[in-house]
Amino acid sequence: PREAVDAEVNSNTAQAMGAVTDDEVIRKRLLIDGDGAGDDRRINLLVKTFFKWCNSGSHEEGYSQYERMLGILAQCEFSMGKTLLVYDMNLREMENYEKIYKETESNIMAAHEKIAECKKQIQQAKRIRKNRQEYDALARVIQTHPDRHETLKQLEALGKELQHLSRIKESVEDKLELRRKQFHVLLSTIRELQQTLENDEKLSEADDVQETRMDTQ
Amino acid sequence: MTSSRAEVDLQRRLELVHMTVFCQSFSPCGKYLAAGNNYGQIAVFSLSAALSSAAEEEDQKSVITFTAHDGPVYSLVSTDRQLISAGNGDVKAWNWSEITKKGCKEAWSRKPPFRANLELPEINCLLLNQKDNTLLTAGGDAVVHVMDMETGAFTQAFQGHMDYIHCLALRDQYNECLSGSEDGTVRLWDLRTGQEAQVIDVYRHQECARPQYGKWIGCLATESEWMVCGGGPALTLWHLRSVTPTTVFPLQDCQQQVMFYQDLILSAGNNPTINHCQISGGVKAQIPCTAPSVYSLAINEQSQENMVFQLETHISSR
Repeated sequence: PREAVDAEVNSNTAQAMGAVTDDEVIRKRLLIDGDGAGDDRRINLLVKTFFKWCNSGSHEEGYSQYERMLGILAQCEFSMGKTLLVYDMNLREMENYEKIYKETESNIMAAHEKIAECKKQIQQAKRIRKNRQEYDALARVIQTHPDRHETLKQLEALGKELQHLSRIKESVEDKLELRRKQFHVLLSTIRELQQTLENDEKLSEADDVQETRMDTQ
Repeated sequence: MTSSRAEVDLQRRLELVHMTVFCQSFSPCGKYLAAGNNYGQIAVFSLSAALSSAAEEEDQKSVITFTAHDGPVYSLVSTDRQLISAGNGDVKAWNWSEITKKGCKEAWSRKPPFRANLELPEINCLLLNQKDNTLLTAGGDAVVHVMDMETGAFTQAFQGHMDYIHCLALRDQYNECLSGSEDGTVRLWDLRTGQEAQVIDVYRHQECARPQYGKWIGCLATESEWMVCGGGPALTLWHLRSVTPTTVFPLQDCQQQVMFYQDLILSAGNNPTINHCQISGGVKAQIPCTAPSVYSLAINEQSQENMVFQLETHISSR
């Protein structure tokens, strides 16, 4: 109750000076049983019954008071047992809550760590994606150029053709050379023959002239 | 009295209609966003206030707005202590620690060594090279200037582009930087020697060329062996070793901003959408946004909530 709390503040300050005031007692009693019904009343009843029993005259009255006292004591014990059980239960409940609290705390920390881990993974994945895309971009450009093997094959084929053609050219040139030499031989022979024929004609003319000169003499 | 207030209101509304936000940058702590617009102002927003669940109208306005340059602010970039802004010809630095106070003064202001011109060419793009502690700037004079952050001196100048440069990107592993320009080429520069390492004529390739939009390269992003670029030609993914275009993304509009993020390519351009594309060529998602055209995309890696911001006329976040 509110009054109990206020009283506590006052009593704390008073206790600091070393005095236990009336407020302290009032506070304790209010805390224990503020409403007045229940255990406090029972204890008062017990005390009253005890006095009645002590002051009782007759045996039956005393016995009945005695019975009543036992009854009240039983009730008090029962109530005390209940309170103890409730107290135990509260303690265990507290422990349970502590455990749950610690578990939740550790879960939260684990979740935080996981989040950080995932963030790092995202960055990594982004980097990987970027690299892959860069690779793709370059690959696309490279694809537009013709295949290297194809080009090499084409180059080889062209080389072979070139060789073949140059061989043909060589052979044709050789033939040309040969024919030229043969023609040269032919022409020189013809010229020689011509010369020989001319010489022979000249000789025969000279012979004729000598003969006519000899005839006239 | 009321007429002048109405005039001021009208003027403010006209300003808002014509305002274009070109660039943005997050603070090193991830709690503030700075944005530069075409009036030369830089507005600083507090992200934690604006995007918290209890945000109100007031929290979404800027914490502070100050005039940084005479002309538009085209590019913003953040180091761990300073915000560097670039506009028409000059580069200024502001300290993040002082920026939220009123009357912020620039920490330093430098001008790249342009050839003698009547006009100062605009600086379209700033890039920080953390390895060498240098700042690369590129813009209207078609030259990439390299400035050493410690001394403030301009050490190198890469010449070669025929027309002004839109965007820069850095390849740390090979110590190279790429620049995309209006002349339709992407050039790779070796940072150590200062020589032009390679020229990629993007608009000459049939797969991506879109002559109806022009040949300008509006946006560049690189990641190890790959480069994605877009603009007039379609947004294409290139393999840099072999210099071949591998994937052309089926996006209709001209892309003005592109970046690699995890395994996706985020891009945005003339349409009011942010496109999430995969390297394989598919467009995974197209997130609509309020701005009709997007000039800047940025990802806030410092804060718990990763947010991709896009800007043009309005500021909004996804």
